[in-house]
Amino acid sequence: MGKPSDLIQGTLDLQILKTVSLEPKHGWAIARRIQQVSQDVLQVTQGSLYPALHRLEQQGWLRAQTGVTETGREAKFYALTAAGRRQLARELESWDRLSGAIGLVVRETGEA
Amino acid sequence: MLRLIDRLRHRLRSLAGAQAADAELAREIALHLEDETRENVARGMSPAEARAAARRSFGSVALVEEQCRDTRRVAWLQSLAQDLRYGLRSLVAQPLLVAAATASIAVGAGATTLIYSLASELLVATPHARAAGELVNIRLAGSSHVSYREWRELGESGAIASLAGYQIEQSVNLRDGDRTVSIVPLITTANFFDALGVPVALGRGYSSREADAGREPLVAVVSDGFWRRRLGADPRAAGRAIVVNGRPYTVLGVLPRGLKAFAGFGLAPEVYIPLSRSLMPDLDHPHASAVQLVGRLRDGQTLEQASAALTTVLQRSPDRDAQRPGRVGRITPVSDGVPELGSIATFFAVLLSVGLLVLAIAGANVAGLLLARSSARQRELAIRVALGASRRRLMQQVLAESFWLALAGTAGGLLLTFGAMRAISSLPLPLPLPLEIGTPFDLGLFGCALAVVLLATLFGGLLPAIQATRPSVAPALKQDVRRYVHRRWTLRGLLVIGQVAVSILLVVTSFLFLRNLARAHALDPGFDTTSTLVAQVGFVEHRYTAETRTALLATAVDRVEALPRVERATYALGVPLTIRSGRVSGAPVSIEGEGARSNFDAMWAENMVGSGYFDTLGIALLKGRDFTSADTAGAPRVIVINEAFVRRHLGGREPIGLRLLLPGAASPDAYEIVGVVGNSRHRTIGEGQMAAVYYSYAQRPGDGRVVHLLARMRGAPEDGLASIAGAIEGLDPTAAVDVQTMRHTLAFAFLPSRVGAALVGGLGAVALTLAMAGLFALLSYSVTRRTKEIGVRMALGAPVGAVARLVIGDALTLVATGMAIGLALAAFVTQPLAMFLVDGLRPGDPVSFAGTALIFVLVSAAATWQPIRRAAGVDPVAALRDE
Repeated sequence: MGKPSDLIQGTLDLQILKTVSLEPKHGWAIARRIQQVSQDVLQVTQGSLYPALHRLEQQGWLRAQTGVTETGREAKFYALTAAGRRQLARELESWDRLSGAIGLVVRETGEA
Repeated sequence: MLRLIDRLRHRLRSLAGAQAADAELAREIALHLEDETRENVARGMSPAEARAAARRSFGSVALVEEQCRDTRRVAWLQSLAQDLRYGLRSLVAQPLLVAAATASIAVGAGATTLIYSLASELLVATPHARAAGELVNIRLAGSSHVSYREWRELGESGAIASLAGYQIEQSVNLRDGDRTVSIVPLITTANFFDALGVPVALGRGYSSREADAGREPLVAVVSDGFWRRRLGADPRAAGRAIVVNGRPYTVLGVLPRGLKAFAGFGLAPEVYIPLSRSLMPDLDHPHASAVQLVGRLRDGQTLEQASAALTTVLQRSPDRDAQRPGRVGRITPVSDGVPELGSIATFFAVLLSVGLLVLAIAGANVAGLLLARSSARQRELAIRVALGASRRRLMQQVLAESFWLALAGTAGGLLLTFGAMRAISSLPLPLPLPLEIGTPFDLGLFGCALAVVLLATLFGGLLPAIQATRPSVAPALKQDVRRYVHRRWTLRGLLVIGQVAVSILLVVTSFLFLRNLARAHALDPGFDTTSTLVAQVGFVEHRYTAETRTALLATAVDRVEALPRVERATYALGVPLTIRSGRVSGAPVSIEGEGARSNFDAMWAENMVGSGYFDTLGIALLKGRDFTSADTAGAPRVIVINEAFVRRHLGGREPIGLRLLLPGAASPDAYEIVGVVGNSRHRTIGEGQMAAVYYSYAQRPGDGRVVHLLARMRGAPEDGLASIAGAIEGLDPTAAVDVQTMRHTLAFAFLPSRVGAALVGGLGAVALTLAMAGLFALLSYSVTRRTKEIGVRMALGAPVGAVARLVIGDALTLVATGMAIGLALAAFVTQPLAMFLVDGLRPGDPVSFAGTALIFVLVSAAATWQPIRRAAGVDPVAALRDE
């Protein structure tokens, strides 16, 4: 299908929500921020950011608004909604579960 | 709320302004690339290099655009369709599960929709008429019928838009080739077709003017069935003549096929004829019941306004009297069904709840199957939960599977319903009226089926959905931590308990109905049923006076008694336990010469009989004498009463010679008691013992057009059928004669208990089967799950018996709990069934309860047998090798 797998999608959502939780940003700034924070370890194809942004907007977790970039251009800014803030909390929690679970899955695949 | 509006707006925009959204996205991407390029230039790349690098790190613009567009599409619809597709695919992979679940639901759904269809056909089918929604049934206080005069008065007053009447209680003789048969017409007021707009397929209905009772109208409209059976489906039938009661009636029209008649109950009268004085001699009598009323409301008139308007008319009426208070009893819309539904409606309500219970059991079975499956899929689901799939989404998926099963099951159930309806309407019922039950696929049935699908989806899917998505990720991921932790009170176990409880309830009920049937057959009706023949004779109206009719009957009896092998013959107005069993009267009675103190209120069955009645039917004469040919109209009035009357009302007096004041035509008449006979059943086989009064037919012939001749035969009574019919027809060829054995005639008396037993018994058996299938599936599954545990136990030296006990123990706990709950429940729930049971059988009948318990113990043993054998046959080596 060409869509990102559930795994990447799940973590990407988390990263986006986390990034815009500080202040509203436009697409490129979000991509830039994710790269910087992860110290360029998590290299996300920048394009895959946009479908995720649109999905999160549709789910009501992000709200689009018009803003002005540092270079003085008018652009679509994404801000976190109240529901998005709650979702972020959930995602953070499930991230802890996931990291534990993945460890178990990886260790136990030999059996069964 | 805001969020909802936001989302809605977003969706609407994405649906409506896809282009605008595309343009916005393109701008967004262009800006991103610009920003990235600028950044790259700042890092020291050449502009061309910087642009290329930006494109590289962005990836395919076209792909991103496509993905965004995908996201925009209305997502939930998509995911729903996806879940349905996925559900269907995963079900197709498991044909056995699908077959079992579909069959379960089909039975439950079939039972529910069948009962719904029957009820809607028999009870509340709106008759076909112009603007039937405006029509109302009108009942005056205390009576279903009104007199001809009352109808005229109310109709002419203009209190409501129009008012028509009909009755279906009277039969007429129809000349059919060289035979005369008795049929039941719908006798209507002249304006029936004009006022109600009943559709006519061929020809036309009669008009108010030509059918006016004063003109002795000889016109008729016939049913589609009559037209096919008796007129050879003649396309030029309008204008042909049929002979009714010896007079030629002109057929004006033929009703459409499948017409719902005003009589209700699925009855389809064969002929519609207008009311006339020849059909009803006491038409002008102010209290003679003529027709039941159906009227049309004025535009905007409410039921209350109509009721008030009619009441005003009645109060102004000159012949208002104490017998019939001048007020309107009840006005109900025709679409609500005939007001006289009473216990039939209750019966259907009982049946419908039974059907829903069966559906619930079927749903529990499906739930059990899905639960078993979802525990096998626990890991898959847990991984998906961990990866962020929402719980709602997963539940939607499990429900989607259950929805497919429910849909397939309901479709199967509808097929069963149609088959059953067809079978029922072709079933010969021992009723004197044709019954036509259509199998309509109307909006109501569709709605009912939809409700069934929904219920079945929820019954079957909700519990598994909740269970499957319970967010306990870690243990499930760690494969099967709980493999050795055995829990008895699992959700599936609870389902089985519920199933057992509910089916216990149903089996107890069916047991009651079956016992009821057996009882009814074993009950002694108090008269001979094996060697008696019953000839129903319908005379043409007004061919005879009371005297000549009595004389003719006496001659007929002589002729019949002269036939070979006839032991004794007699005549009577009614025959007990048939639809014409005579009347039940209730009135204050006093004993002549004892003053007002001896007055008592009594209710009794009454019949007008000829001499030899008791001897012919084998009812013992206990005291005094039988009627004789001397008890004629002019002679002193005499009665014979039964034992129950003596015991209940005469308080130790010597009955013979007492004179009772019984209600007469105008004022009470004194009748001397000349005999006391044994008790017998009168109206229904299951009734409590009724008091009875027998009059001499010659002294009280009434206006009964239909009389019965009874003959006791030596040897097989069937052999006398033809000769007796011949003897009577020889006397009067216009009379409709129908000779049957008493046994055949009594089928009517057993109809209610038979129908009840068949329906409830069938459903009970189905419920039992479903519950046991559920138990079997649960145990089989639990043995599979615990194979390793059993293997370990056996390897450690557990004997086969202990292993069997392990499995049995579970089954026993489940079944015993379910049984206890079910029996307790049944003790309460069966109480209202008393009204359907024969005298002497109580809802708490210990035999039914004990029998049900025994059946369940046996069937449970059968259901557990195979799983136990499998458990005992576990090979420890093989089981442990898997570990």
